[in-house]
Amino acid sequence: MIGLQQPLAGTAEPGFAPSEIGMLFQDDALLPWKTARDNVALGLTFNGMGRKAALEQADLWLGRLGLTGFENRFPRHLSGGQRKRVALAQVLVMNPKLLLMDEPFASLDAIVRARIVQDMAELVERDQITVLLVTHDLEEAISLSDYVYLLSQGPRARIKGQYKVPIPRPRDPVRARMHPAFAPLYEKIWNDLSREVGLDQREEAEAAE
Amino acid sequence: MSSLDPRYTWARQIAALVLLLIAWEAAGRAGMLNPLFIPTPSQVGGALSDLFESGRVWTHLEATFTAALLGLALGIGVGIVLGVAGALIPVVAELLEPVMTLLNAIPRVILAPLFVIWLGIGIESKVALSFILVAVVIFFTVYGGIRQVDRRLVERIITLGGGRWALVRHVYLPSVAAWVLSSLKVAVGFAFTGACVGEFVAATRGLGYLLSFAQSTYNSALMFAIILLIMVVVLLIFAVAGRLEKYLLRWS
Repeated sequence: MIGLQQPLAGTAEPGFAPSEIGMLFQDDALLPWKTARDNVALGLTFNGMGRKAALEQADLWLGRLGLTGFENRFPRHLSGGQRKRVALAQVLVMNPKLLLMDEPFASLDAIVRARIVQDMAELVERDQITVLLVTHDLEEAISLSDYVYLLSQGPRARIKGQYKVPIPRPRDPVRARMHPAFAPLYEKIWNDLSREVGLDQREEAEAAE
Repeated sequence: MSSLDPRYTWARQIAALVLLLIAWEAAGRAGMLNPLFIPTPSQVGGALSDLFESGRVWTHLEATFTAALLGLALGIGVGIVLGVAGALIPVVAELLEPVMTLLNAIPRVILAPLFVIWLGIGIESKVALSFILVAVVIFFTVYGGIRQVDRRLVERIITLGGGRWALVRHVYLPSVAAWVLSSLKVAVGFAFTGACVGEFVAATRGLGYLLSFAQSTYNSALMFAIILLIMVVVLLIFAVAGRLEKYLLRWS
């Protein structure tokens, strides 16, 4: 979608300039020799912003993600969850219109993950960012998304199903799981997913907001 | 017996050293050691203080230091340039790798007599030996390191909108600096090895020259004194290098 790979057929039209697209992956790496704030400010300076202004923005976003007081730490001196928050700040500071995420929180433990997802959902709703989230976690897919797309097993994965999530916004991703519409939709997608998995042993679910 | 308290390791080590020196001194004074081969600690101390009191040590220290530090600086500089070039330009790697592998395999100090013929008995031949010892080590550090740069960092810079220059400045340069710093102590050791061995082979000044002079006059007290002096000098430089490394690599 941003040109990392050529489409096999057809075209991908994100409708956004590359600079408006942010990316967050499972194994994101921060520059180990830069402090949290320098890491976050990096993208802004690439776009020509002065260092001082970029650092101010960085501190602002680190604050929004609950990292006040950790600005001058090196990645090594942050926990896994904190590093993921810095990586998120690094992307959000660029004011993306579209956020591409591939299992961004898979490496985190459940509680840390739930809290980061909550904070992220809040910021994404506030700034009206479109998010394309790839995940194997069906609960996460439904609780965060407006639309869930089920992909077949790759290579040459194809969209197998499309589901609208009728849970209203703004939402709390944890509370959303208790919404009356959650369980029926979960069951429906799970059944389709099981059929897909039954065919070739591996699961692949994609959700899009 | 209770287990050893790790907080006092240094105290036990120093106590052992002092005991050893006392035993050594006593054995020497009792006539159990031939002073021609093994001088007593007090004789070594005397020789050392003579060196400083007469003031003749300074010119030798200066010569060795100059040669070692020049060789170190040149070796690091050339090692980095060749390492980077080898990692980024395939044809350079093809040509350099066999040469460097060969230089790495042989004891490079065997080049010392050759350097004396080519460059004379002045400081140039010592700098050259120091340089060749250091440059090969640094080359392999940088060459291997650049090829192992974390791909995720490179991708991160690109997805954040950074170009070629940003990659060099924020990924490659810091990586290279980290590898060079982590092999700095080895390089310092090699630099002094080169300088001393060079002086040993043919020189008119330097600690290595002084050492070979002591050898030719069977002055074992002076030899011990110079060995001690070189150890102290290198340890001091190690301490400085260690500090530098710790500060610059404080992120790791």
